[in-house]
Amino acid sequence: MVSHRDQEVFREDFRNRRRLSATEREALLKPYLPDPSDLPQRKSRKASISRKTPVRTFLKSQIHQLTYTIIHIFFGIAIRFIQSYHAVVDRIFAIVYYHHRTPELIRKDVKGLKRLPEHLSVILSLRKEDDALAVLMDEVAELAAWSTASGIPTLSVYEKTGILKSCIPTLYELVTSKLSSYYGTPSQQPKLQLFAPHHPVYQTSTPTDTDPSKSNPESLTLLLLSSTDGRETFVDLTKTLAEMSQNGKVSPQDITPELVDAEISEITTHPAQSDDDGDGASVFIKPEPDLLLVFGPFLKLDGYPPWHIRLTEMYCTGDTGNGLTGYGEAVEYQGFVQGLWHFAGAQMRFGR
Amino acid sequence: MATSMHLSRLRKWFLASPPIEYAISHLRELLVGALKQGPVPQHVAFVMDGNRRFARTHGIETVEGHNLGFEALARILEVCYKSGVKVVTIYAFSIENFKRSKFEVDALMEMAKVKLSQMAQHGDLLDSYGAKVRVLGRLDLLKPDVLEAVNRAVDMTSRNGDRVLNICFPYTSRDEITTAVRDTVSEYSRPLKPICSPSTGPRTPFSESHIALNIQAQRTEHNSDTESTSGSSEDGNGNTKQDRSRNKVYESGSSFSSSTTLHLGQQDGPGTKTSTPLTEGTDTDNPAFVSPETISRQTLTDHMLTKDNPPLDVLVRTSGVERLSDFMLWQCHEDTEIVFLNVMWPEFDLWHFIPVLLGWQRRISKSKQNPDAEGDFDGEGSVSAEEDDGIILRPDNKVKGM
Repeated sequence: MVSHRDQEVFREDFRNRRRLSATEREALLKPYLPDPSDLPQRKSRKASISRKTPVRTFLKSQIHQLTYTIIHIFFGIAIRFIQSYHAVVDRIFAIVYYHHRTPELIRKDVKGLKRLPEHLSVILSLRKEDDALAVLMDEVAELAAWSTASGIPTLSVYEKTGILKSCIPTLYELVTSKLSSYYGTPSQQPKLQLFAPHHPVYQTSTPTDTDPSKSNPESLTLLLLSSTDGRETFVDLTKTLAEMSQNGKVSPQDITPELVDAEISEITTHPAQSDDDGDGASVFIKPEPDLLLVFGPFLKLDGYPPWHIRLTEMYCTGDTGNGLTGYGEAVEYQGFVQGLWHFAGAQMRFGR
Repeated sequence: MATSMHLSRLRKWFLASPPIEYAISHLRELLVGALKQGPVPQHVAFVMDGNRRFARTHGIETVEGHNLGFEALARILEVCYKSGVKVVTIYAFSIENFKRSKFEVDALMEMAKVKLSQMAQHGDLLDSYGAKVRVLGRLDLLKPDVLEAVNRAVDMTSRNGDRVLNICFPYTSRDEITTAVRDTVSEYSRPLKPICSPSTGPRTPFSESHIALNIQAQRTEHNSDTESTSGSSEDGNGNTKQDRSRNKVYESGSSFSSSTTLHLGQQDGPGTKTSTPLTEGTDTDNPAFVSPETISRQTLTDHMLTKDNPPLDVLVRTSGVERLSDFMLWQCHEDTEIVFLNVMWPEFDLWHFIPVLLGWQRRISKSKQNPDAEGDFDGEGSVSAEEDDGIILRPDNKVKGM
């Protein structure tokens, strides 16, 4: 803690270009420096000093220990109060803002917002119960439905283990049935494309072309990501580049951020060509998500692909909520809407 | 308006009065000492955002705002190092920031130069406290005079150990990742030095003609059992040249490795066999390389600018902007806790930082008590298992087996 007088001297030093000499500055600094003998590397001297004042050192450490305990007790109490407050607020929001599986209602919730993310990304976590996969897939389906209803064209779902990628057809079924519970008959449903890096686009032949006037113009591209799309992708890229360089096909000087960006973006924007129909691979999405929603007790990226999030806004639903459950938050509609409101720089209010 | 000004002046006077100042400084010391009792993050990163906005809202010049920001930095560094944080990384200047007004860029550069050269003047003082300053980023974009100050400060403190201050000076994370990829690639595309068998090591000054004769004699008997001897000797060479033990010599594993590298290996194989040890000049046509398959996540991490630092534990960004803005993307996307605070950087102090630290300590001690509850730790385990799988290369074992 620097005293005010010294602070003023220090500021004058910079402002008026009336530089203090090195010794003057050192004199100014002296009172604030810890005793060199306190430092761990001076073991011999420290030992002798602590021998001189063993009682004081002991008392000091005891006081610190005590303060640590007290602070954490009070902090814990405060946290619990804040958590219960937020839990109550959360419940109220959950009641006030309920979607009732009506796209119109969801659209109304986001109507007043200044901006909407073009590409929304979500971090979900697999729980530990037996039906964890079913719960996870249901969450993805719900999110897909909310995103389409609020007019977000691209949704990417990150789940660390990548279990979702192994059951794309089932997930597709689930999402379509969820959409039908929101939108009704298949002809009114938005078009859905589902894919993961290194996987072909999965979409069933849509029956909507029977009556184009009635069909829903909205569409949703659902992208599945896992931790292998993060650092592992860079490792693969480096391997390829190293091999090319060893063969003299590329020189290390050619590796620029633009090249890396193009290569890394390729993976998420251009899915692998499916064998049966070539035209299905026409997916163009914005590789950089605008908003990243973290459904968890605190903001941790947990291996999310690093390259594209440099300008992504992040919002953690559990930021202020309960971190006690430990497993990560349930995916609930009010959290989703709150994230969108936050992104638009708006405050959520009680009452629609 | 007038009353609030009077109030703030009164408050300032009150806080500046000696007894209060004394009490507050002792309170801070007590708090820091208390924080030290629990687990402390080893590596903390700060995005010092909000200097300009602070200056604008308080009606002072932008440059003055940056100065206040520097004071805040000094305050928070004191807290960090006293409480036991080993490495602090700060985002001082982005490559993108060169696009700002020339006046501001110049003022920032001037400030950096002055502070760094002042630091260098106190070399012995820094020595005794063991803080090491490092500047990360594209130093080639700096002006020569600033660069000189940077180099002086870095050299001065390079011998100090223990505590590290990383200043990301003209830095973006994408640039860092690209550089890491590029460095890895150029390292792997540097041909390995030809094998130096003990009899022909570079330290023994034998006559060249004599050696040439020896080769002739050796090659005739060598050809019979080339496979095993070259395999083992190359392996030894790989280990001594690169101190990373996982590295493997390309062609020794080529015949066993995956299909993508197979043809390459066959090309290389005969080339190195005919020109075994000593024909140094001629064997550049078919040089031996370290296999790219040995590149792992760790290899890339070792090429990042923060390679010797512990993993990033906490990242704090002030001013309420909830983006990373191209900072520490590689380092923070795994287990880092990211915190966005709604204060301007010049106002940032221990009081804002304490809740962050307490929350972190709470979470860490909870997950230590009960690793199953958090779900973080088994995840980590599986990652490391994966990594191990990637590192252990079957060709190596097979060669050794032979």
